[in-house]
Amino acid sequence: APDTATPVLGLDADLKATKQRVPTAKLDESRLLSQNGIPKLRKNAKTKLKFKGKGHEFSDLGRLLNFYQLWLDDLYPRAKFADGLGIIEKLGHSKRVQIMRREWIDEDKLTRRD
Amino acid sequence: GRDVQVVDPEVRAHIYSLVTALGGFNGEDASKYCLGDDALACLRDIKKWLRLYDDKTNRLDVARCLGESNLVNGDLLPILAHWRENNGHTKKHLTRIALACLELLVPLTWPVEIHSQMTVNHHRHTPYLQQSQVNYKRGILDKNAGLETLRAVIQIGLPSLALSRSDRTNRDEGILKLMLYIFRNVAMISPPRGLAAEGDEEETSRSATINAFQEQDIFALLLTISSNMGDDFSFQDVILLEILFHLVKGIDVQKLFMNDVQRSVKRKDELSDLLRKETGVKREYSKNAPTRHGRFGTMIWVKRDDAKVSTVSGQDVLKDGQVALNKMDQTKKWNRPRHHGRRQEVEVASGDFNLTTHLTSTATKTLRTFVEEFLDTGFNPLFTHVRKAIEREADRVLDIHTRQFLYLVSWFLQAERVRHSTRRKEHEKNKGTSREFEPDSYSIVASVLNQETFVFLNRAMQYSFDQKDWQDLNANMRCFTQILLTVQEMAASPLEEDQEIAENIQNRIFYEETTHDRILAMVRGYNEQGLGYLDACTELLHVFVRMLENYSKENVDMQIRSKRRARRAAKEASEKNGTENDEENASENEDIADAARVTRERTFDFKRFAARFCNQKTIDTFVKFTTYYRELDDEQLKRAHRFFYRVAFKQEMSILLMRVDILNIFYRMIKGPGALDNSKPIYRDWEELVKQLTRRMTKKLDQRSSLITEMLFSKINSTLYFLEYGQEKQTISLG
Repeated sequence: APDTATPVLGLDADLKATKQRVPTAKLDESRLLSQNGIPKLRKNAKTKLKFKGKGHEFSDLGRLLNFYQLWLDDLYPRAKFADGLGIIEKLGHSKRVQIMRREWIDEDKLTRRD
Repeated sequence: GRDVQVVDPEVRAHIYSLVTALGGFNGEDASKYCLGDDALACLRDIKKWLRLYDDKTNRLDVARCLGESNLVNGDLLPILAHWRENNGHTKKHLTRIALACLELLVPLTWPVEIHSQMTVNHHRHTPYLQQSQVNYKRGILDKNAGLETLRAVIQIGLPSLALSRSDRTNRDEGILKLMLYIFRNVAMISPPRGLAAEGDEEETSRSATINAFQEQDIFALLLTISSNMGDDFSFQDVILLEILFHLVKGIDVQKLFMNDVQRSVKRKDELSDLLRKETGVKREYSKNAPTRHGRFGTMIWVKRDDAKVSTVSGQDVLKDGQVALNKMDQTKKWNRPRHHGRRQEVEVASGDFNLTTHLTSTATKTLRTFVEEFLDTGFNPLFTHVRKAIEREADRVLDIHTRQFLYLVSWFLQAERVRHSTRRKEHEKNKGTSREFEPDSYSIVASVLNQETFVFLNRAMQYSFDQKDWQDLNANMRCFTQILLTVQEMAASPLEEDQEIAENIQNRIFYEETTHDRILAMVRGYNEQGLGYLDACTELLHVFVRMLENYSKENVDMQIRSKRRARRAAKEASEKNGTENDEENASENEDIADAARVTRERTFDFKRFAARFCNQKTIDTFVKFTTYYRELDDEQLKRAHRFFYRVAFKQEMSILLMRVDILNIFYRMIKGPGALDNSKPIYRDWEELVKQLTRRMTKKLDQRSSLITEMLFSKINSTLYFLEYGQEKQTISLG
């Protein structure tokens, strides 16, 4: 009889489907260095960030903070501003980011010499 | 509730029958306690149960049964009162009973604490016992019943107390110990945190304790013993230390030394301060509060780059772009998971001094009188004795005593300083009317200002730092701070002798470079140890740096003893040897280096020292401290402000502060939400600091475009100089 037969290839056994959790996006080195990350920050800073200078210190500071906040919100919408800053600061200790930081500074030095 | 048997029913039956047999209020006169026929034997049996059942098998069952049967308030205290009122001390039998009562009171009031080696039984009984101990304390301090238990206890101890030390037997010493321990227990018991208190909390408060101690002459006894420490008394020193600790911990010294008028003024100030703060909060809320009902349903778009928009709802966001941005941030649900490191070890409540305690005005007056008398007579003998005992590692000394010793030293030094200044002020007020003012000397606290104490302190500080014992270190730092402040006062004293001593002490404190290094290391070593630690270490650094600066200005040719490894010399030596075996060479190198770890003197340069605390770690610690700005008082805010000012403008290292998270905090402090109270002078200081810092920052951002990325991170040493000055550091190259 067919029901006494040993299961062929395990086809009759119950299949257990375990759903893989969708991994949550992380704010890590590659995200920070991606197009949306620091390159965008550098590009935007040149065009979008203008200060009024003396006498407007606090509005300038507020503008700067808002600039960073919006950038961070685009980069990693999940985190609050302060939390995101903490994560990024920590990433700054990694080798890869440090090398990049050196590069940006060196670029800065070169443009100054020209 | 009753279904679960928490205690073996047989044990309970035994205990209950013993307590019943002890006696009761059911004789001819119902208000008079009648002793049972075999009362003494009953008391001894109960003691045996406690010792042989509870202690030996490590349970708390008997203690719990005794708590349930109301032994202390129902029997022991009435027996003691009866004994005292009826001249019981003339009858030998009754005196023995009284002593047996005391022998039970001490273990029953012994603090039950949460510790690392608890059994199931401990966990089950501890909360109940803590509650019942509060009841015991209420009974012991009870004024209305007129029991005067504490006085009765002294009376038990008096015969032994009167003997000279050489005549005392072991039994006498034991009685004295019991007597002092009951006072300690009474001082120490406090309603457990997190458990709802039964009855009136006032009756068991610190003020009630202090008042009872005064009324029943406990303070007089404590003064007698402490001033004769070393002569007639010796083993009692650490118990006395504990009593003092539990009496004064967490009490504000400044408030203690105000008179009623000043105190009420201060209180009014505090009240109006609080009211102002509250109106500030209200004002801030009403500024942004909705002007229409909650379902009005406003929604706005925030236009962003790349034709993107974010939506924010609520009417308040219409008014101000800043509000909208804040709201966008607040509505995010995700919080960065905090890594707390090791789980905080269970803090022993007996050593915690970070909570402030408030006193009633009678208690304040009483305690102040006691503190002044203690400073005048008991301070030097007791503290010298305790220090020696701790150094000797005497058997009676426990780990906790070091902490308590250090805390008490700091507390009493502060008390002495405040007393000096109040006296001076009073004199100035009464100028002309009073006779010539005689400045007091600081010799009454001299016992903690000698070389031995400094050695002790340094060693304790290093030890607790290495062992990561943060509470101990906290007490240590407070102590050191107070010593520094006292020395500073002494240097300004009109007495020549005091000045000389102060000069001497300063020489010694500032001479050792290891001290400088350690203080920096302690500030740098902050890692989630809590606000108490932050407060202590920032205060120490603040005071130390300020005094060191003054001192090095006055003593231009100041020398310090520095320990530096003479590495290079050792290396050269080994190179000359040219040994082939590398490994051997390396270890040999170490040896030579160790041997050549020379101590030599070099000239001290304050600038270089100041530069050393301009590093990211120290700044992070101060930033952490500043994040509590809403809870800090003016003095603490000033401390943080001076530090940042020094870093940014005196040391020219403003670049270290240019980090977005730091600037974010600074901005919130000034512009809110949750800004500082802008009517206070300290607000102006901070406003100016942030203004100057911003000015520098915008200038730098214009000059160096790389700063926009560097603002996100802690700076690296190698690029620091360039970012600050816009050029490479000039290094002299040889050859």
